[in-house]
Amino acid sequence: MADFNKEHLLKELPVIEQNETKGQHYWKSLKQFYNDPSSIEAKAHEFMEGVVDDFKLSSLTDMSRRKFLALLTASASFAAAGCSTYESKGEVIPYNKEPVGVIPGVPNYYASTCTGCSNACGILVTTREGRPIKINGNDEHPVNKGKICARGQASILNLYDPERLREPMKKDGSSFKNVSWQIADAAVISALRSAASGGKEIAVVMKTLNSPTAKKVFDDLAARYKTVKLYSYELFTDANRDSAWKKSYGRGKFPLIAWDKAKLIVSLESDFLGNEGNTVEQTRLYVSTRNNKELKNFSRLVVFEAGMSLTGMNADLRLRLAPELQYDLVMSLLNEFVVKRQTSRYALDRNVVNALQGYSIGKFAQTSGIDPKSIESIVSYMARYKNASIVYAGDRLPEQVHIAVNLLNEVLGSTALYRKDRLRAEMLPYSTKEEWEALVTRMNSGKVGVVVHCDSNPVYHLPSGYGYSSALQKVPTVVTLDQSASETSVVSQWVLPINHDLESWNDFKTRTGFYSLQQPVIYPLYVTRQKEAILLTWATGKESAYNDDLYHGYLMSRWEKEIYPSMKLAVGFKEFWYSALHDGIVNFDEKPESHDGFNAEAFVSTRSSMKAGGYTVALSESYFVGDGGFANNGWLQELPHPVTKVVWDNYAAVSPTTAKELNVDFNDLVEVEVRGNKLKLPTLVQPGMADKVVAIELGYGRTNAGTVGNDVGFNANVLQDANGSFTQWILPGAKVSKTGGTFELVATMEHHMIDDSLVKDMQFNRGIIREGTVEEYQSDPDFIQKEREDSKPTSIYKDFEYNGVKWAMAIDLNKCTGCSACVISCNVENNIPVVGKDQVKVSREMQWIRIDRYYSGTPVEPRISLQPMLCQQCDDAPCENVCPVAATSHSPDGLNMMVYNRCIGTRYCSNNCPFEVRRFNFFNFRHHYEDSYYLEQPAPMVSNPEVTVRTRGVMEKCTFCVQRLVQAKQDALQEGKEFTGSGVVVACQEACPANAITFGNANDPGSGVAKLREHELGYYVLEQLDTKPNVTYLAKLRNI
Amino acid sequence: MSEVSYGEVIDYSKAPPLVEGNPTLSKIDDSIAAPSETRPSKKYFMALGVTLTMLLIGVIALGYTFYYGIGMWGNNIPVAWGFAITNFVFWIGIGHAGTLISAVLFLFRQRWRTAIARFAEAMTIFAVMCAGLFPLIHLGRPWYAAFVFPIPTQHGVWINWNSPLVWDVFAVSTYFTVSLMFWYIGLIPDLATMRDRTTNKIKKAVYHVLSMGWRFSNRHWQHYEKVYVILAGLATPLVLSVHSIVSFDFAVSILPGWHTTIFPPYFVAGAIFSGFGMVLTVLIIVRKVFNLEYIITMNHLDKMAKVTLLVSMMVAYAYLMEPFMAWYSGDPIDWYLVLMRMTGHYALGFWVMTTCNVFVPQLLWFKKIRHNIGVLFVISLLINVGMWLERYIIIVTSLYKDFLPSAWHIFVPTLTDFGILIGSFGLFFTLVLLFARSLPVISMTEVKGVTEGAHPTHHIGAEHE
Repeated sequence: MADFNKEHLLKELPVIEQNETKGQHYWKSLKQFYNDPSSIEAKAHEFMEGVVDDFKLSSLTDMSRRKFLALLTASASFAAAGCSTYESKGEVIPYNKEPVGVIPGVPNYYASTCTGCSNACGILVTTREGRPIKINGNDEHPVNKGKICARGQASILNLYDPERLREPMKKDGSSFKNVSWQIADAAVISALRSAASGGKEIAVVMKTLNSPTAKKVFDDLAARYKTVKLYSYELFTDANRDSAWKKSYGRGKFPLIAWDKAKLIVSLESDFLGNEGNTVEQTRLYVSTRNNKELKNFSRLVVFEAGMSLTGMNADLRLRLAPELQYDLVMSLLNEFVVKRQTSRYALDRNVVNALQGYSIGKFAQTSGIDPKSIESIVSYMARYKNASIVYAGDRLPEQVHIAVNLLNEVLGSTALYRKDRLRAEMLPYSTKEEWEALVTRMNSGKVGVVVHCDSNPVYHLPSGYGYSSALQKVPTVVTLDQSASETSVVSQWVLPINHDLESWNDFKTRTGFYSLQQPVIYPLYVTRQKEAILLTWATGKESAYNDDLYHGYLMSRWEKEIYPSMKLAVGFKEFWYSALHDGIVNFDEKPESHDGFNAEAFVSTRSSMKAGGYTVALSESYFVGDGGFANNGWLQELPHPVTKVVWDNYAAVSPTTAKELNVDFNDLVEVEVRGNKLKLPTLVQPGMADKVVAIELGYGRTNAGTVGNDVGFNANVLQDANGSFTQWILPGAKVSKTGGTFELVATMEHHMIDDSLVKDMQFNRGIIREGTVEEYQSDPDFIQKEREDSKPTSIYKDFEYNGVKWAMAIDLNKCTGCSACVISCNVENNIPVVGKDQVKVSREMQWIRIDRYYSGTPVEPRISLQPMLCQQCDDAPCENVCPVAATSHSPDGLNMMVYNRCIGTRYCSNNCPFEVRRFNFFNFRHHYEDSYYLEQPAPMVSNPEVTVRTRGVMEKCTFCVQRLVQAKQDALQEGKEFTGSGVVVACQEACPANAITFGNANDPGSGVAKLREHELGYYVLEQLDTKPNVTYLAKLRNI
Repeated sequence: MSEVSYGEVIDYSKAPPLVEGNPTLSKIDDSIAAPSETRPSKKYFMALGVTLTMLLIGVIALGYTFYYGIGMWGNNIPVAWGFAITNFVFWIGIGHAGTLISAVLFLFRQRWRTAIARFAEAMTIFAVMCAGLFPLIHLGRPWYAAFVFPIPTQHGVWINWNSPLVWDVFAVSTYFTVSLMFWYIGLIPDLATMRDRTTNKIKKAVYHVLSMGWRFSNRHWQHYEKVYVILAGLATPLVLSVHSIVSFDFAVSILPGWHTTIFPPYFVAGAIFSGFGMVLTVLIIVRKVFNLEYIITMNHLDKMAKVTLLVSMMVAYAYLMEPFMAWYSGDPIDWYLVLMRMTGHYALGFWVMTTCNVFVPQLLWFKKIRHNIGVLFVISLLINVGMWLERYIIIVTSLYKDFLPSAWHIFVPTLTDFGILIGSFGLFFTLVLLFARSLPVISMTEVKGVTEGAHPTHHIGAEHE
């Protein structure tokens, strides 16, 4: 399959030559490519009436490619034409005539929805000449508001992954053979029929379902085949929090939190800035409380956690606590407020008071080893910020902790921060442990006739304790619908390829009050179908029922019949629908379900001791490859872990003390054993972790992900234990032992022992990081400027005068959480290659922007400073004067330019760059990585045509997205307007969910960046070198 | 200058003879011409086999580099320069002794130079040839190397005169041209001698062309002497300028450990030091193999050893000044770098370097050691090792832990790196071996001028004037 394109080219080229020599029509009839003439007629109806009235496919006997392309991009949103794969349509020929709605060189944008995870954020897809090249957030979307996480950004690479499944496949012995959709559908339908008639269960296994129309499809399927049962899972869910809510409040779901109104956030083992919930929204809301202009509303983030999470990195006060002790912590706090201070009406509730007996802050401080003063200060803060603080327990904590937290929030008046405007929506609840166990039992006893894996990978994801994969062997028909091969697809009889997000139609409802629409921005690249359309075909019982428009029509008719009438709009459905697609969002009135008052009985019944011996294994989801679904995405594998900066691997993270105890160091292999499940993996010594805790990320160690993702890291899913004493993901009582042998972990930053007196606090001594506390800033707003005085150099030279626009950037370190969305956005925008683990190992990663992480304090209680580092575009750039061939020089608008075709690769510029932000093409990395994996078609299609793909031997670096700056200038020129530089957005800025990056014209006194350059907290990195950088950093303020 | 030993009558007024044993002029010719007039021994071919193998290793390593890219080396970001630039500076340095001996000592009328000048000059040329390769092959895109020359183009793209690399291009090419001219002019009388001696027709034709019709006429000598002194005058500033400019590659940058004003004199001293080390290494072998001990006398080795000791102390001074200035400047970044050199990942290299370049040469204070060929040979080898390491330490340690701790990364050389290093030694010694068998390794005419009979005088010790 890998060679399909070469073969195709070989086949195609002679044909064209022949045509030319014989003087025949250069354009080939599309018809002859059609295998099935009957499908032509079917396709004639695929467009909406009125939109493509001019085009009648049936009348276009000798249809040119130009016309085909005109059809392909016919209207703003209905790009759905043709039938087979794109490459069977011949060579790509430039337009001779401009198709409607497409101007070559000018991108089109389409609103859609990302399904990279269950959050279903709204996206805006940039397409060039019909080819999607970038995914950004949709400004209209009420949740993610124009921003999108690293995974969402990188998901565009999955569309062009050369290893996507291209045709339906049937298992043939131990391998698979390609079959037609008709054969596959017919076989599956007959299997479904016989199962339904034989009373055998048809299990449909999916991940989160949040499309109401897809839900209807499942209902249709269940209506046709009575034995259909739906199962839903996610590697990590918030099910415990929701079930605790139900027990505490009778009904509903845990509400959304108004993070932006919080003055005190106490996060218990929750990574709400990293990978719990909608982190894009949570980051935005949280960061809005960290505004250095509004010190009065400056929030304080307190984190109690075992591992070092992204949220923990950002904490003002971070306290190490084993997960088992979280319950004790909450109970002690409750005891303080309810029993000791009696500040709550629950002080009168005898049951509650009784339950709290035996807990106290003093006792907790003793058992946990936490400084009692820290806890007292938190208590005093809680008391002070009544109604404006929130205690938030993590997904992975058990139900009883969540119930106790619910009560604590009641006691503290934190329920004021429960959002009343919206609630999370749920289409299908996650299947419980009991349901899975029942399914496996039925599978084993032959009572399950068909299992359909609908874009899910349970063989890899489900806890091994269920015995799912062995039970699967007893199921006669296993069908997997997936975009690419997986551990589940290889054990299926039928593997049916499905469309990527960007090739699909759908609607999503993740919260009350709005729908998010998904529309295709490119015609399916292969012989794939949308999964809902496949199910719909089955639901009709006829394989011939399928047509390209099946689900699209279904979706529209549901909207026309069910949703549009309820909107009571003055416009017709068509106008409504087009504008809905244009916006990607449909808002409507919906009152969130109310809930009852707190039921204290739920609380009382939860008392139990949670202390356990041995080590505690804390599993968490990988920040970037997620649950492993993104394992074959090189950009995400190579994106440094936000805390450890490790790439291409997971590991067992332990505290320095625990490492000593286990006699292990970096890279030493350890064996982790949890109730019989064993895993061997390398160690990483993580400062700031709780002792006796081993933190491991899931999503790695895939065996059937593809060339990129196979055997990257270690499959820690096997350690999950649904029957554990605590939760499925936090496993006390584990055994950990050193096994001998090492496995090299690779990180983009070296591990420096932070207690090394030579290196300690270097980031402060060298003028790299400047920070202070809110108090310091309040009492002396100029404290950063005073610090700067020492290092400000004087020069005898006159500065160059920049007239007109001068580009500059400002980064607010107060806002940056280190989420790394900017890095991926830059990768996508600037065609950054994947170099692979072996090259990162020798420090040749190519990312133009990186997030530097510095530790201070002690290895036990470290503090972390983060700093996005990119080309500083120095006015007196040291790189420029050392280049012998003037390949890097300065532009009149203040850019440090890089002229690739002049560069001969002396690398002197990199040596002389104090920020080390230059990147060198040591190899032709596109050739070098995995035998030219990313040169296989269609992977190169992901490239941004505005940016040169750099060759071997050339230096490169951040250019402030010069292609966008030039475009903006050109547009202004064309429109005859004065170019002020306003409104230009660079890729990293575009992606930053915290809005930490400001970019613009420093010479325009009204611009945001010009103001920030004069900000009291502003400083430049390594100012003493007098390179005159143009990236201003605003010092971080800690609210201690 | 005179030898001192107990029990002997010491004559301070008379220097030891520059050519021992008062040989006849024809003996001098015979013994110097012998290597190119006799069939090489088996040992010679074995030696050539070894150096050619080394050269082949280098060619293969270079092939890999050109085919796949600089990624075959250990270079990374931040250590974007590694072995290639180390080798470049090392080989340029080796060349310096030749020019110093042939030009500077000539102008200072140090007549003892005659015995070693030819060989040293030849080594200069070969070393500069080796050195010149590295700036070319270390380029990411060597096929665009011509961009570094000021070639006018329609686009008006010009080279960047601010860049020390451009200065390098001119410094090294000037140096090579002048050295080659100087060497060749000096060779002409000897080539004529060879022409007249040989009976082989082909050789005769070659020597004929090369000697440019030299007839040993008085007019020829007059012109020759003038040109020689002019070229010596031209070459002399190059001894200082070339390595000063090479040092600018580092001194002009802003990196701690590179950005120091001491670099030009430090590099020149280092270059002469390493050059003398290499000349000693090679001459100790040559004088033995070709039976030229009476021309390249113990006394010559003694003098070279003294020069070596002197420049070793200049180098040591620079070694001391570097940390002192770092400390005195109060710049924590500079000071950290000094500490890292002494205790960091490359500390072993640093201390081996210091030992080889500072401590070991102190042995040369002792005459017994200066006169012990074996020990002298070992010391000269250690100096070569130490001086290669010096460049390596300067380049790598300054880069691997520079300003931002987030970007730090060590440099680990690859097999390809070592292959190219070995290859450069292969090239150098292959050329040396070929030279030794095809051209007079000592200037026959000049040596005759320093024999005892050449300067009849009644003033005792007048030779020194």
